[in-house]
Order: sequence, then C-alpha cells, then structure tokens
Amino acid sequence: MKNTLSLLLSRLPHALAVLLLASSALMATPAGAADKTPDDAKAFIQNLAQQAIGTVAQRDLSDTERNDRFRRLFVASFDLPQISQFVLARYWRTATPDQQQDFLKLFQEMQVLNWAQRFKDYKGENLTVTNAAKDGDKGFTVDSQINRPAAQPMPVQWKVHVGDDGQLRVGDIVVEGVSMAITQRSDYNSMLQGNGGKVDALLTALRTKVDQMRASSGG
Amino acid sequence: MRHPWCAAAFSPGQFMSKITSGKLASVLGLAAFLTLAGCATPPPDDDPDAVADFKQTNDPLEPMNRDLFQFNDWLYENGLTPAAKVYRAILPRWGRDRVADFLANLRSPVILINDILQGNFTRGGVTITRFVLNSTFGVGGIMDVSTPMGIPGHVADVGETLAVWGAGDGFYLVLPLFGPSNLRDGAGLGIESTLDPLSYYLDDNRMRWLATTRFLASGLSAYESYMDNLEDVKRTSLDYYSAMRSLSRQRRAAQIDDAKTGAWAPKDVTKLQQPAKQDPTK
Repeated sequence: MKNTLSLLLSRLPHALAVLLLASSALMATPAGAADKTPDDAKAFIQNLAQQAIGTVAQRDLSDTERNDRFRRLFVASFDLPQISQFVLARYWRTATPDQQQDFLKLFQEMQVLNWAQRFKDYKGENLTVTNAAKDGDKGFTVDSQINRPAAQPMPVQWKVHVGDDGQLRVGDIVVEGVSMAITQRSDYNSMLQGNGGKVDALLTALRTKVDQMRASSGG
Repeated sequence: MRHPWCAAAFSPGQFMSKITSGKLASVLGLAAFLTLAGCATPPPDDDPDAVADFKQTNDPLEPMNRDLFQFNDWLYENGLTPAAKVYRAILPRWGRDRVADFLANLRSPVILINDILQGNFTRGGVTITRFVLNSTFGVGGIMDVSTPMGIPGHVADVGETLAVWGAGDGFYLVLPLFGPSNLRDGAGLGIESTLDPLSYYLDDNRMRWLATTRFLASGLSAYESYMDNLEDVKRTSLDYYSAMRSLSRQRRAAQIDDAKTGAWAPKDVTKLQQPAKQDPTK
C-alpha cells in the first residue's frame, strides 16, 4: 500500500506536466484542424528550415548535441506514426503493438542520425518556399527549393498535414520527384519479404543500422 | 512457373543487337544473355498482398538484376569511385563544372532531336538557344551562361521519347555499368547510340578515340556528381537494391512527367536564383 502511494506520488509531477501540456495544446488550437491554410503550411516549412539551420546546422556542435537538437525538431515537426504506418504498409497490421513501438523508436533514430549527419556538412544552403496548395482534406503540398552554393537550386516538395494533435506535421519529403516515404517503403518491404515477413528481422536489421550509424557519427 | 515477361525478356535484347551498331549493342546482348541466369519466382496466387507487391515491383528478372546490381556496385567501388576521387583531387570544383558544362553542351543535338520527336517545340527552342549562347559566349560550351540568364537546361533521351509516345516501362532492368533502367529505356539507350550526329562525324573522320574519350569522360563526370548520393542511399538503406530500384523509378517517372507536359524548368522552381558564392574548398 505504501509502495503504491509512493509510486503515485513520484509520478504526480509527470501527470501534472502531461495535463498542463495537453491543456496548452488545446488552447493553442481552439478551432482545430479545419482552419489551417496553405499560408500556414508555408510558414510552417519556412520556420522548420530556419530552425534546422539555426540550431542543427551550427558548425561547432558535438555529434551528440547535433543529434539531440535534430531529434527535438523531428519529434515536433514530423508525423512519425503516420509515416511508420505508411512505410511498413501491410506489415504494420501484422506487427504486435510492441513491435510497432520498437519500430517507431528505431525508425525515428534512423531519421535523426541520417539527417543530423547531413546537416554536419552544411555549406550555407538555405531554403526558399515558393508555393503551397491544398492537397486533399487535411493536407498541403509545399513547394520549395534548396539554394546551394555553386549549384542549381534543388526542388523539394513537402507533404504537410494536420496531425491528430491539430498541429501541422510533415508526412513526406519529395526531392526531385523522389518520395522519401515511398523509397523507404520499398526498401523495408523488400527486406521483409526476403525474411518471410518477419517484423523481428526488420527490427534487428534496423537496430544494427542504427548502431553502425551511431558508431560512425559518435552520437 | 515463369512469369510471361520473363520468357519474353530474352528476345528484345537480341533484337536490339541486330538493329544497333553502337557499342551498347554488346551491352544489351550481354543483358539478354544473362537473362537466362534467373527469373523471380512469382508468389502463390492465394497470397493477394504478395501478388500485388510482385506486380507493383515489376521486376520479374530480380535474381539476375540483383547479380548485375552487385556487379555494378563492385565496379563502382573498385573502379569508378577511386577514379572519381583522383578526378576530384586534381581538378577543383570549378574545373569539374566546366567539364560537365562542356559535355552537357555536346549532348545538345541528341536532346534537340528528342525534344522535336516529343513534340516539345518550346523545349527544342530552349535547347537551340542554350546551345548557341553556351557555344559562343560560353567559350565553346565550357561555361553554361544560359542558366544564370534564366534559361536552365533539361535532358531528353530516346527512352523518354518512347514514354511520351505511350510506351510503358516493360519491366525493371539493371544494365551492366549503366545501372537501374528498364526495358524501354535500355532499348532507348541502344537507339540513342545510333542517333548522335557528333558520333557519326567523329567516326567518319577517324576520330573514334575522341568519341571514346567523350564516353569515358561523360561517365566519370556523371558518376562524380552523384557518387555522394549513392553513398548516402547505401549507408541509410536496409536493402540497397530495392531502395535504388524505387528511387530511380520515381526519378524517371518525374522526368517523363516533365517531358509530357513540356515543362522546361523544374516546375517547383518558379524563380531560379543565382548560385551563391562558390565554395573553393569543395
């Protein structure tokens, strides 16, 4: 009994924090999803790029710090559950809840390590948002270009939608016609097919990959 | 149980080697020969998800393609990558850009022929304008002066033209050395080697060595430009082969889409910006 009580007490701050967060999220989006406009999506992407350049792309960061900063940005701006479901496709349904959770964690870590690594080579690129349009019920496509030193600008399209929490979230990035999510879906599905559809095999491979990337980036 | 495409795949390559005189004929001939090496086993009919995947993947020659992909990977790792690194070491970025611009300008006749065959006359006009400007003000093509003037280039090839005319992919094909392709684009590559006026000119004037040099330089220049991207995909994918298959197919579909609509600048880029100050370290 005493144990249960102390457990409750120790968790109380967390519970309060969650409540506070939830209520502030509710207040931030009083009217919910419907009133997001293409301009909001535009501003969202512009802001995301600025934050990435302002925080993750700084030169004098340790790898760990860079990874942490990108992780925060990724968690706040990308719709990880939705991307994961798309990427795993039919295997998402056959995966157990535990496997799904493991996948979410590993997949996120893959993305974080990948992108943080790319930002390490930052050479003054910046992003200009050129256009945004509605795409389906809750979605937008935001067209942008990455301006690179001594190279032609690279067109990048962002698939943005209103997430379950009412906030705008990135669902996919399309670079020169190539969708990240579709490419990963093909990659992972082939890997799964080659392993008799065993989700555990995929998780093991992801874990190895993440470890490799951690070792090479020191993060 | 063999996929119908698998049996059919043998003949087009043979057919191509009869009608093309170019160096690619032997490459395609080899591809056709290797076709015998293996066909993917289609999934059983009672697994509709797997059947749908198989159809969507459209890679009935997967075992052979994987072998060729591995062969290419080995070739890139041990041949092209070291060569590209030497190339980077001896020629700084600015110089490499001049080489790339020069080689791109040499492709203008073939691009123009394809623009016209596709009915993309605006694009054709752009190709002519760029060729004239770059060949003159750009000192024989070494400087792409047109892009900063707001006339960016585009590429066009026979495979793309066939697609604009309504030809489908056929199926996925990994070409030795050239990498990810498909039946239509592989055939297009063969036809293209017979289409270039410059190649004929060089052949007629006993300057085959120049044609060969150009071929090798184009390969090295192109490889150097996307070597880092390849490395990136390899590093981040679980199944490198499938990631490249998906990626190259999407990229190709976007190119064909642009050709079909006649767009002559990437449609997302509404206003091209001047490249920023060059980074001399790269």
